[in-house]
Amino acid sequence: MIDIIQNYWQAWLWNDGYHVSGVAMTLWLLIASVACGFCLSIPLAVARVSSRRWISGPVWFYTYVFRGTPLYIQLLIFYSGVYSLHVVRSVDLLEHFFREGLNCTILAFALNTCAYTTEIFAGAIRAIPYGEIEAARALGMSPWVKYTRIIIPAMLRRALPYYSNEVILMLHATTVAFTATVPDILKVARDVNAATYASFEAFGIAAVLYACIAFALVGLFRLCENRWLAFLRPMGH
Amino acid sequence: MYKLTVNGLHKKYGQHEVLKGVSLKAKAGDVISIIGSSGSGKSTFLRCINFLEQPCAGEISLNGELLQTVLDKKGSQRARDPKQLQKMRTELSMVFQHFNLWSHMTVLENIMEAPMHVLGLSRAEALQRARKYLAKVGLNEQQENKYPAHLSGGQQQRVAIARALAMEPEVMLFDEPTSALDPELVGEVLRVMQALAEEGRTMVVVTHEMGFARNVSNHVIFLHQGRIEEEGHPAQVLSQPKSERLQQFLSGSLK
Repeated sequence: MIDIIQNYWQAWLWNDGYHVSGVAMTLWLLIASVACGFCLSIPLAVARVSSRRWISGPVWFYTYVFRGTPLYIQLLIFYSGVYSLHVVRSVDLLEHFFREGLNCTILAFALNTCAYTTEIFAGAIRAIPYGEIEAARALGMSPWVKYTRIIIPAMLRRALPYYSNEVILMLHATTVAFTATVPDILKVARDVNAATYASFEAFGIAAVLYACIAFALVGLFRLCENRWLAFLRPMGH
Repeated sequence: MYKLTVNGLHKKYGQHEVLKGVSLKAKAGDVISIIGSSGSGKSTFLRCINFLEQPCAGEISLNGELLQTVLDKKGSQRARDPKQLQKMRTELSMVFQHFNLWSHMTVLENIMEAPMHVLGLSRAEALQRARKYLAKVGLNEQQENKYPAHLSGGQQQRVAIARALAMEPEVMLFDEPTSALDPELVGEVLRVMQALAEEGRTMVVVTHEMGFARNVSNHVIFLHQGRIEEEGHPAQVLSQPKSERLQQFLSGSLK
């Protein structure tokens, strides 16, 4: 156990001698995919609750497909499947992008978490009391002001507890990244296991590292909830 | 010169005609009470004035400026220029039965939001306005950083009135402002509204409070089945009702 930590601690935490690895790589996968998914899901959630079918329909289809199929298969399709297409290999830009396992992984993860986040945010928009939106219209707000000042801020706050759950699930989902040769925590654990045959220690350390990251995320979201969800807290009179 | 005129408003839900040509004229300083049993169309009428509901026909003008409309496929009117409607709404601010304060914003943020992001006031100007109107509705600085859920219903409605006042509107619309309140909280809201009426503000109030209609307003409209059954000065309309419907309505309500 001590040997493993002494010999491999750098690989566990940030660098395996060739590239970024371990905790740093897992965090990068998580932050990059969650950040892309977050930005994309806000306009998609607004479209998802639209009463116009031609706007909400395509978004519904996208979230249905990405929530209805396993992430592992999505990753395999983006990593091996897409690259095997002739079209992709004949366009330079696409060829470069899809040749890199990390790009494919982040793309698959971002689209996957974006689908879940879109549904979470859409649900939060539906949970906003209709009167509050009506008040925004009645005070002369344009649709842009209504969305950016009232609906989206209210949505983000109400979605926070569900969103924190999604981020932690996404952290755990990053463990499939080794399929695309991305050296995340699990990849290091496998390498250590292969080199030392100390399976319990190798995967045990990986589990502890994931638990620590999850614990930090929970703490971070707790702080956010204290700050932004105070309006829902009951207060003793 | 009328501040607000509404001419021949019609509204249908499917085949059901809720408003069958209702008109209203308000001069500066008028306080008009709209009374009637539930289902008479009085709330719908008020909500049509600022187009929260789209009427099927009729004309609305504010300070002599007619709201330009077009008919959509379903036969409802829409504003031809959304900007004109938005501007008109800033001058017609509304107070709702269920307050409709933005629950994720504090009292102060609720009041400052529209002046800053619709009228384009600076934060300092909006803050000054917010404090001024909070004081007017009888709330102090201890309440200004609370969230709506942490206030009583009467306080929430007074914040909503302050939010409407902060737009410095030409005409204020009140949609049953005391109907969702506990009986002991009704008084504090009615007193604020009475003070506004005495200041000379132009108000259109849908209400069940006959005391308010009688003592504060200078014109009462009785709606029945989407038509104006009777209207006039409250002393006359409420004390010597001519129509049978109004007599029935008044005998059923406490005076």
